[in-house]
Amino acid sequence: MSALVLAWRNVLRNRRRSFVTLLIAALGTASILVAGGFAQYTYDSLREGAAREFGHLTVAHADYFDKDEESPLQYGLEGHEALVAELERDRRVRRVLPRIELSGLISNGDKSMIFMGIGADIMAEAAVRGPFLKLVAGELADGDRTDGPPRVLLGVELAESLNARPGSSLTLIGTTAAGGMNAMDVEVAGTISTNWPDVDKRLIYAGIGTARRLLATDKVGMLAVFLQETGDTPALRAELEARDPVHAFKPWWEQSAYYVSVRDLYDRIFGLLGVIIAALVFFSVTNTLTMAVAERTREIGTLRALGAAPADIVGEFVREGVLIGGIGAGLGMLVAGSTMVALLMFDIQMPPPPGRADAYPLRLYADPVFYLLTSLVILALCAAAAWLASRKAAARPIVEALGHV
Amino acid sequence: MIELRGIGKRYRVGDSIVPALSEVSLTVPHRAFVAIRGPSGSGKSTLLNICGLIDGFDDGSYRLEGENVGALNEASRTLIRRRHIGFVFQSYNLVPVMSVRENVEYPLRLAGVSDNERQRRVDAVLAQVDLSDQAERRPDLLSGGQRQRVAIARALVKKPALVIADEPTANLDTATANRVIELMRELGRQYGATFLVATHDDRMTAHCDQVRTMRDGVLQ
Repeated sequence: MSALVLAWRNVLRNRRRSFVTLLIAALGTASILVAGGFAQYTYDSLREGAAREFGHLTVAHADYFDKDEESPLQYGLEGHEALVAELERDRRVRRVLPRIELSGLISNGDKSMIFMGIGADIMAEAAVRGPFLKLVAGELADGDRTDGPPRVLLGVELAESLNARPGSSLTLIGTTAAGGMNAMDVEVAGTISTNWPDVDKRLIYAGIGTARRLLATDKVGMLAVFLQETGDTPALRAELEARDPVHAFKPWWEQSAYYVSVRDLYDRIFGLLGVIIAALVFFSVTNTLTMAVAERTREIGTLRALGAAPADIVGEFVREGVLIGGIGAGLGMLVAGSTMVALLMFDIQMPPPPGRADAYPLRLYADPVFYLLTSLVILALCAAAAWLASRKAAARPIVEALGHV
Repeated sequence: MIELRGIGKRYRVGDSIVPALSEVSLTVPHRAFVAIRGPSGSGKSTLLNICGLIDGFDDGSYRLEGENVGALNEASRTLIRRRHIGFVFQSYNLVPVMSVRENVEYPLRLAGVSDNERQRRVDAVLAQVDLSDQAERRPDLLSGGQRQRVAIARALVKKPALVIADEPTANLDTATANRVIELMRELGRQYGATFLVATHDDRMTAHCDQVRTMRDGVLQ
């Protein structure tokens, strides 16, 4: 008879009590894994979304992020083509795309609205970033055409405000890099949605050449560096910062306040949830084994009289705790894994997050390291609970234990 | 082999001190079968607990096999119990989740005896208590007499120098008690163990080499 067989028999002495405890350990494990899997999926989605939006790294003038510009593109990049070529020589870099942030007024002749825009190579951005814009009407076209007025994409709500549709003519009015005013007629190529209604009220996308002409400059605002692997970002940033002190290199996570705040919030929510679940499992196992210890006090006295050391007694209860925890953790993993598969099979949508218009699919990640760590934590909690429940009884005077009724 | 000199034991009950044993001296030679008799509360069990190293004392000295065991710490006392002392309890105190074989085997496991040797010794002692055919059964399926025979086998399987038996026949009918007494005497001789038995059963005392009487914590 192995020690584990004996522990299992002892667990089965009070089947209903052990079953309930085991169920709590299983549900606790499953809850932690499901909540953690959802958080991991969310972090991953937000990470990839942020990296696609900003680029894994943003390269700009050293003062671009820290100082306010007195005129547009005061801290822009001159002669960026050489820098683009140098960056794209690195095999980890997939593409480097220039961008200009724009702001000004957009008018249909009767009504003017403030716009916040981005000047970028729209087709190249689409090729690198995938379907990053939801085209509502018209087409996703290259804005910098030469055979007609430049074309722009309008946020769907801005287009509604201006009563504009694909083919409509509008006028952009902005401040040039030298501080003067400039105006430019553009044609609406299409309307787009970012699923952020507040953004869609102000958004325009223009070609990089169009933006430069509006600002009357050869500079660009920044370079968005897209990598083959998101995980290469920290290393490449460190290398670039070490060899190029002239420019600033900002990674995606410093650009995406949304990612940081969501992660911060989820870490707190799920962290607290995990602590509560762990406490529930701990107290449940402690309660079960405390009752078992009380019921077996005479037996403990007998075994001590026969020559068992207190550590032998505690070891027996710890094995029982570990068995409950181990089986509970195993069942919990099974439940969490099944839930993950079920969510893949049945498309369940989560309601849109605050400030957004689009729902997103409910998915769970099953990270083996997270599963292993969670199981080990549950096992450790159960072992600790068993130790706590049995240590006093094991050290109790033998005569007292034998006389226990 | 057992040498108690002037043993005193007191319990604290609330604010008062109650003497349990006073000036108890006892010498028990090797392989003797000694009964301590007396009414309930006379101190028999307390004396046996001290001799079995599961309880301490306040005054006097206790030498077991020449060693002063009164001064030992709990870990050393545990080791002596594990190797040299067997117990037979009035209520058998078998572990219900273990089979007969596993109950008997348990002291050998604690002592670190090898698998083969354990098997051999357990088979032998079960045959001696006539329970070979019950080896795989759980204790709750056995009669009282059978359970006490399992307890005797468990006490003797490690070939102890001393067996402490506290009222071993109190829960048994006359025929079964006689069988158990005979078995203890016979196996005690075979295993070379000294038996110290607390009893107020005359059937038991008739078989003993020495009978001492306790009264109010004093050994007569």
